[in-house]
Amino acid sequence: MSSDPSRAEALVSKIQVFEPHKASLPPMGPYLREFWRRRRFALELARFTDKAEHLDSPLGSVWLVLNPLLLAMIYFLLVTIIGGRGSAGSSRFDVLAHILVGLFTWYFAQNCMTFGGASVTAGGKLILNQAFPRALLPLSSLIGAFQKFIPTLPVYLIIYLIGGALDSKSKLPGLNWHLLWIPAMVALVAISGFGLALLFATMNVYFRDTSKLMTYGARMWLYLSPVLWMPDMIHGWHRILIWANPLGPILTITNSVWIKGENPSWTLWLGATGWAFGLLLIGGYFFVSRERDFAVRI
Amino acid sequence: MTLQYASKPEMPEGLAVRIEELSLRYKINVESKMTLKNAIMRAGRGEKRRVRTIEAVKNLSLDIPHGTVMGVVGANGAGKSTLMRAIAGILPPTEGRIIVNGKVSTLLALGVGFNGTLSGRDNIILGGLAAGLEREELEERFDDIASFADLPNGFIDMPMRTYSAGMYGRLAFSVAVNMTPDILLIDEALSTGDAAFKEKSFEKMRQLCLEARTIIIVSHALGTLNELCDKALWMHQGSALAFGNATKVTDQYLEFLNVGKVPSALEDF
Repeated sequence: MSSDPSRAEALVSKIQVFEPHKASLPPMGPYLREFWRRRRFALELARFTDKAEHLDSPLGSVWLVLNPLLLAMIYFLLVTIIGGRGSAGSSRFDVLAHILVGLFTWYFAQNCMTFGGASVTAGGKLILNQAFPRALLPLSSLIGAFQKFIPTLPVYLIIYLIGGALDSKSKLPGLNWHLLWIPAMVALVAISGFGLALLFATMNVYFRDTSKLMTYGARMWLYLSPVLWMPDMIHGWHRILIWANPLGPILTITNSVWIKGENPSWTLWLGATGWAFGLLLIGGYFFVSRERDFAVRI
Repeated sequence: MTLQYASKPEMPEGLAVRIEELSLRYKINVESKMTLKNAIMRAGRGEKRRVRTIEAVKNLSLDIPHGTVMGVVGANGAGKSTLMRAIAGILPPTEGRIIVNGKVSTLLALGVGFNGTLSGRDNIILGGLAAGLEREELEERFDDIASFADLPNGFIDMPMRTYSAGMYGRLAFSVAVNMTPDILLIDEALSTGDAAFKEKSFEKMRQLCLEARTIIIVSHALGTLNELCDKALWMHQGSALAFGNATKVTDQYLEFLNVGKVPSALEDF
């Protein structure tokens, strides 16, 4: 009973007030605290979603690696046919290695966008029936995309080392100290991916065809990114393709570390970090300032 | 999320929920689909977006003491479910404010089972985690939840899309009442269980009342409400028409419906 002092005290600490809001952010301190406190939910949601997907296709996890591999083969054929003798200077395998690592990285970001974009509209029932920081839904997509990305790293490393050793013309650096940058690179892609997930999740609530358009948008974006072509191939004002592209700097860093064996320049790091946190801030603001509207729009 | 911890509110002791001049309005899209394509086409034709503003709750004030079992009655579209969502913190008020003292567990239009491809077990865990419970805590309560729901054997580990409506409802109810809520919100969920389960639900709710928990039930089953509730709220087109003794309010409501005390209206569902 409320006459029991200990219980009454416990209740007082749990007082919540729901007040009107303008199209602005809720108090961020409590929001982030709740977000962090319920992080386990995002993790389990990613795990369970993965499990549900695998129930339908036992080859599920194999496809995750196989899909970019096969795509890389197709793009490699395309690039070498179109490029012809243009790329004769460098080893064919180096080109393949570049495309492959670019695609693996790209797919990490794209998965964040696609799964994250659908996360809120897919969580309809939960949003209608429970109050929780909605940003946990795109976070769960990020975790899912990350779990899909991680196994591609060792697969890539094996191909990279074996191919580099077999191809006598290859100039790949092999195992080198610059590879220690990988955690930082993955972190930047993850932050960018989360920002993109937040952004597209919000857009998808307002415009339900966003996910459809995204399929084409993502493909175009891929062709404009240094994945199928080397960052060194473009000069002068064409370099804007790298700097104006949210994933341009990080993909260039990926190329420097894996293919050229160089320390990426600090301007590249600055660009990649700027884009990553810029996307996170923009996506985060867009999402959190509108998430209280989701329940009536779902 | 609408959790806000603004100014320390003044909350008289013994109150579970205080609603102050609450109004809730939202816009609904009249168009068939909200797509970018439609938006661009519309802009091309120079048209405006056709929306309708719904006033779901109008200037409602209410104090609900701890331990109250309150029924909410009213016609379809009276704003009952919207009010429940606002108390749960899901829909932010347009005007006024709601102060809630305690942990809220919601059973709104069957909250669990949001993912049909996952098993009942997985859905319980996900729903609980979203509600802010710890994983360990959930594992502990899992047996209680499962045994209370008492699904036919093995169904707890089957994908929820294979559940019947009744099994669905049993599980949802079981989750909500076993989360040890201070305030339990139930929206039309009792109608799905069979007679035996209904009896069990009543038993559980009576027990929760004895523990001074607050329960708010939205239902069209006036007989059930009279049996369970001590207070009732009658909502009509977003406003509170009557609040008070449950039997009195449901009688007034029945009179309004112009059916008198016809047995069929008091029959369950």
